[in-house]
Amino acid sequence: MPEILGASGLSVELGARRGLLRHRPGVRAVDGVELSVREGETFGIVGESGCGKTTLARALLGLQRESGGEIRLEGRSVSGLAPREARRVREAVQYVHQDPGAALDPWWRVGATLAEGLSIHGIPGRAEQQARIAETLAAVGLDPALAERYPHELSGGQQRRVGLARILLLRPKVVILDEPTAGLDLSVQAAVLRLLRDLRARFGLTYIFISHDLSVVRRVCDRVAVMYLGRVVEQGPAETLFAAPGHPYTRALLAAAPRLDGTQTGPALPGDPPSLRAVPSGCRFHPRCGLATPDCAARDPALEDAAPGHRIACLRWRDAA
Amino acid sequence: MSIPVLQVQGLDVELRSERGVARILQDVTFTIPRGGTVGIVGESGCGKSTLLRAVLGILPKGAETPRGAILFDGQDILTDHAASARGRIGFVPQDPYLSLNPVFRAGDQILEIMRRHAPGSRADHKRKIVELFRAVQLPDPEGALRKYPHQFSGGQRQRLLIAAALACDPALVVADEPTTALDVTTQREILALLRRLVAERGLSLLFVTHDFGVLASVCQEVTVLYAGRVAESGPVRAVLDTPRHPYTRMLLACHPDRAADLAGIPGTVPAATAQPSGCRFHPRCPLAQPSCAAAAPPMQALGEGRAVACPWYETPLPETALA
Ligand SMILES: Nc1ncnc2c1ncn2[C@@H]1O[C@H](COP(=O)(O)OP(=O)(O)O)[C@@H](O)[C@H]1O
Ligand SMILES: Nc1ncnc2c1ncn2[C@@H]1O[C@H](COP(=O)(O)OP(=O)(O)O)[C@@H](O)[C@H]1O
Ligand SMILES: [Mg+2]
Ligand SMILES: [Mg+2]
Repeated sequence: MPEILGASGLSVELGARRGLLRHRPGVRAVDGVELSVREGETFGIVGESGCGKTTLARALLGLQRESGGEIRLEGRSVSGLAPREARRVREAVQYVHQDPGAALDPWWRVGATLAEGLSIHGIPGRAEQQARIAETLAAVGLDPALAERYPHELSGGQQRRVGLARILLLRPKVVILDEPTAGLDLSVQAAVLRLLRDLRARFGLTYIFISHDLSVVRRVCDRVAVMYLGRVVEQGPAETLFAAPGHPYTRALLAAAPRLDGTQTGPALPGDPPSLRAVPSGCRFHPRCGLATPDCAARDPALEDAAPGHRIACLRWRDAA
Repeated sequence: MSIPVLQVQGLDVELRSERGVARILQDVTFTIPRGGTVGIVGESGCGKSTLLRAVLGILPKGAETPRGAILFDGQDILTDHAASARGRIGFVPQDPYLSLNPVFRAGDQILEIMRRHAPGSRADHKRKIVELFRAVQLPDPEGALRKYPHQFSGGQRQRLLIAAALACDPALVVADEPTTALDVTTQREILALLRRLVAERGLSLLFVTHDFGVLASVCQEVTVLYAGRVAESGPVRAVLDTPRHPYTRMLLACHPDRAADLAGIPGTVPAATAQPSGCRFHPRCPLAQPSCAAAAPPMQALGEGRAVACPWYETPLPETALA
C-alpha cells in the first residue's frame, strides 16, 4: 500500500520565548521523527507519557507548527505552512481526543454539537445535516434518537462513540486516535476496538493509534513505532516488534506490561525518562540502558534497517538478541 | 490457626439518594488470611471502592447502617470503627497526583497521620518516616521529608503514598487501583515494591484493580464482583485459567491477550439504583434461565478454595458469546 501520511526529520519545539528582553530556548518535544503511514493500515505509536506522542499528533494535524523537517500527505509536501493554511490542507486528517466526552459541550444536545461541526466544515442545510448525523450515529452503533440527549446523560462508552461520530461526519481519510481506550473497562474496550475495526473497513480509513496499552496495540496495529524522549527508536510490523523487539527500550517496555499468566520477563527499567531540558548526549536512552558502552554516550544512532521494514536506532541491537 | 486479618461477612451497603435507594453491595463475603493478598476485580460501578470504604470505615454520609460484619483481627469494625483499627489499616489511593495536599511538605503530611494514630515523639516519627522512605526506595530519604508533592515524579509520589500507608505499622494495606495513573514501566516497579513489602513485613493486602494482568502479578486470591455481588472467588491462577462464572468467562474473553475476536459483553453494568432481580448478571448472560431472574443463586463451593454464584458454571457459553 502507498504512503498516505509521512514525516521526515520532523521536529517540534515547545515553550520557546522570543521576547526582546528574555529569550528562552524551547524544548524539542519531537526531534527528528521519521514516519511513514500506509493507506488503510492501523499504525501504532507507543512510549511512556511525555515522550511526545500527542505533540507529534498535533504537528501531523497542523495544529502545532513544526520547527523542522517535512510532512507529506497523499504524496504532497504540506509542511512549512501558516497554522490556518496548514490545518486546511490537512482536513483529511482528524483527531479523536483521549476523552471525547470532555470535548462535547455540556450545555448542547449531542445533535447540536454534531451539526455545528458540519456547519463549520461548510455542509449547510438542516435536512442534509440531520440525515448525515442519523446515519453516522447508526454507524457508530448508537440510536439516532441519542442526538436529543445531553452529554452527561451518556455512558463513557457512548460518549466515545459520539466523539467518533463527530469526526466521521467530516469524512476524514486519516484518523489519529489518542489513547482511545484509556480508562475503559475491558468489555467496553472490546466493543470500541471492534467498532473501530468495522469503521476502518466501511469508510476506508487509516488510523494512527496512540496508546500505552501494549496488549491492545499488539492486537489491533499493523505496524508500530516506539518513541523515547521525542525520537522514534524502533519501527516495524507489530508481529516482528512484539515477537523480537530489537531496541533495548522496546524490550524493557514490553517486559513491563503485566501479563495474564503472571510471569515477568526481561529486565526492569529503573527510573523515569530524563527531562527534555537535559537530553542525554549520544543515544538518549543510554543512561537507562543495560547494554550501553562509552560509545553510546558519544554517538547518536540513526534508524537503520534490521530487516526489511524493521528499523532500529541503537548501536548495539545486534548484541541485544 | 491464627484469626484471619480481615473477614467480610454478608456485607450489604445501601445509600439513599434522590434517585432512590442505591443497593451498592449485597451479601459480600470473603476472608484475608494473615499475610494473604486478595484482589477485588470487576468493571467500574461494581462496588469495589465502596467495599474499600466500608473496610476503612469511611462510607459516605447517607449510607444506611450496613448489614453484615467486617471483622479486623477478629473485632467487628463495621458498626464501631474502633480507634484500634484506624492506622492499623493503611490505605494507598488511586491517583498519586490528586491524593497529596500540594501546599504541605511530604514529611509534614505523614507526621500528621502519625501524630493522630501512632505512639512516640515527633523525633521518633521522623526517624520512622526516613526509614520508610528508604524502604520504598525514594531517592534522598532525608531530603524528601522537606519536599513538596510537585517536586516528585508520579512514580515517586506513589512511593510516598505507600510509605504513608505504612506509617502506623498496619497489619493490612488496602489499595484502590494504585497503578492505573502510571506508565507500565513505573507500574512494574510499584508492583514489585508492593510484593516485596508484603513479603518482608508480613503485611496482608486488599487490592482493588480492573486489570487482570496486575491482579496476576500481585495477588494470590481473587474475588470477582459484579453489580455489588460476588460472582466468584478463588486462587488467582485457577480463576484466570478456568473462570467459572459466565461474567468472569466473558470478561476474560474481552482481554486483548485472550480474546478470540474481541467479544464484548452485551449491555452495561446496571446503576446501583436499578439492580436487576435475581442474579444481577442475568440480563446480560447468554446462559440465563427464567429461574435466574427469580432468585439470586447462592455461592457454591467448588473445592480447592473456589466458589461460584451460578448454577450453570459448567455449561459452555455459546460460540457467539465468545465470537
Ligand atoms: N508548552 C510546552 N512547553 C514546554 N514543554 C511542553 C509543552 N507542552 C508539552 N511539553 C512537554 O513536551 C513533552 C511531550 O509531551 P506530549 O506530547 O504531551 O507527550 P505524550 O503525549 O507522549 O505524553 C512532555 O515532556 C511535556 O512536558
Ligand atoms: N455516594 C454515592 N451515592 C450514590 N451512589 C453511589 C455513591 N457512591 C457510589 N455509588 C454507586 O455505587 C456503585 C458502585 O460504585 P463504586 O464503589 O465507586 O464502584 P467501583 O469502584 O467498582 O467503580 C455505582 O453504581 C455508583 O454509582
Ligand atoms: Mg499524550
Ligand atoms: Mg473505584
